[in-house]
Amino acid sequence: MGVMRIGHINIRVLDMDAALHHYGKVLGLEKTDMDPAGNAYLKGWDEWDKYSVMLTPADRAGMNHIAYKVENDSDLDTLGKRIRDYGIDVEEVGAGELPYCGRSIRFWLPSGHLMYLYAEKEFIGKTVGTTNPDPWPDSIQGAGVHWLDHALLMCELDPEKGVNKVAEVTHFMQQVLDFKLTEQVMVGPDGDVQAATWLARTSTPHDIAFVGGPVMGLHHCAFFLDEWTDVLKAADVLAKNKVKIDVTPQRHGITRGTTSYFFDPSGNRNETFAGLGYLAQPDMPVITWTEENLGSGIFYHTGELNEAFTEVYTEGA
Amino acid sequence: MGATRHRITILDTGEVYTCPDSVSVLKAMAQLGRKGIPSGCHGGGCGVCKVQVVSGEIETLTMSRTHVSEEEERAGFALACRCYPGSDVSLKVVGKMQKAVKRPYGFV
Ligand code: FES
Ligand SMILES: [Fe+2]
Repeated sequence: MGVMRIGHINIRVLDMDAALHHYGKVLGLEKTDMDPAGNAYLKGWDEWDKYSVMLTPADRAGMNHIAYKVENDSDLDTLGKRIRDYGIDVEEVGAGELPYCGRSIRFWLPSGHLMYLYAEKEFIGKTVGTTNPDPWPDSIQGAGVHWLDHALLMCELDPEKGVNKVAEVTHFMQQVLDFKLTEQVMVGPDGDVQAATWLARTSTPHDIAFVGGPVMGLHHCAFFLDEWTDVLKAADVLAKNKVKIDVTPQRHGITRGTTSYFFDPSGNRNETFAGLGYLAQPDMPVITWTEENLGSGIFYHTGELNEAFTEVYTEGA
Repeated sequence: MGATRHRITILDTGEVYTCPDSVSVLKAMAQLGRKGIPSGCHGGGCGVCKVQVVSGEIETLTMSRTHVSEEEERAGFALACRCYPGSDVSLKVVGKMQKAVKRPYGFV
């Protein structure tokens, strides 16, 4: 019941050919369709729905929307009502308007990002099938990412002006969409400003994250890999393809994930993220990072933030 | 087949470096370990590498309109990661990391 998992992200790209090369040949997503408007649809080999990435040609980089899949069609009514009762407008969207999906609901998160919930999407199937499947397909290209794992959205944070969209959107995700808070960063003189949060509906450490910044935006979307050696190999693939790497392979303190960050050819940040991290059960206590350990939370080995990582990102709407 | 190499001058700092015509003005700077233009996404999306070309020829790839409007583009503004030199180039740095100076609340 309720939200199951991240469904897809719709990213704007400045050059479709370059974007298809990046998401297809370099990351290893499979292109499943192109529509007459020029949007491209891609999925990981280990995903079964038609797409988890929708690329839209545009003259600005960034994210158009993010979509989560709910378990039952009736969840759209239940959650739609709860979102309205919370004071947020909800638009009912007819089947097919969200491409290859059944009916959906659409609303703006308190952080200013556009979110869709849907219950159905055209089924394609895993590349390895469901009868006596091999552990991975021979058609894997590049990094061979399994699936879209999560996204990190930047939210306006200016405590001196009383603005904290991280706290607002986190409250909404917990209270209305029943996400579980797994980790948080608390900052400020009294340590009472919630400056970043990680939330889950699955049993992984996060299905979405929010971080405070001067303006809202898309910080990154992340793709899953099995293990650390896959992250290393993915970075080799990125370097071979002259992809701009932001952060070479290393470990996050927060979520314990092993990670590498880089940019798509339009400047949208991507991540390859490996490992379970831990089992985020509903009764797991919330993990808190304090301001003086923020660096270790993000980059566990150096314990230092890099300037571009926190200040460079694309638009979130 | 060798690339043609040009001299890039960052007027703000007086930094001078060589940039092949096949490499972006930002990447050439970073590869040499030089500083001056803020370095971010290298994809024309984030805007931190914004410069104004004061003299010389450049060719540009698509740049996010959020950061360089058509009017600005005509006035010589560009994103250094999307600029390839066609001659020696002098430029001024416009972009910056947003709050490099003051960070009272962790990330901001
Ligand atoms: S570095 Fe991001 S636009 Fe140039
Ligand atoms: Fe991430």
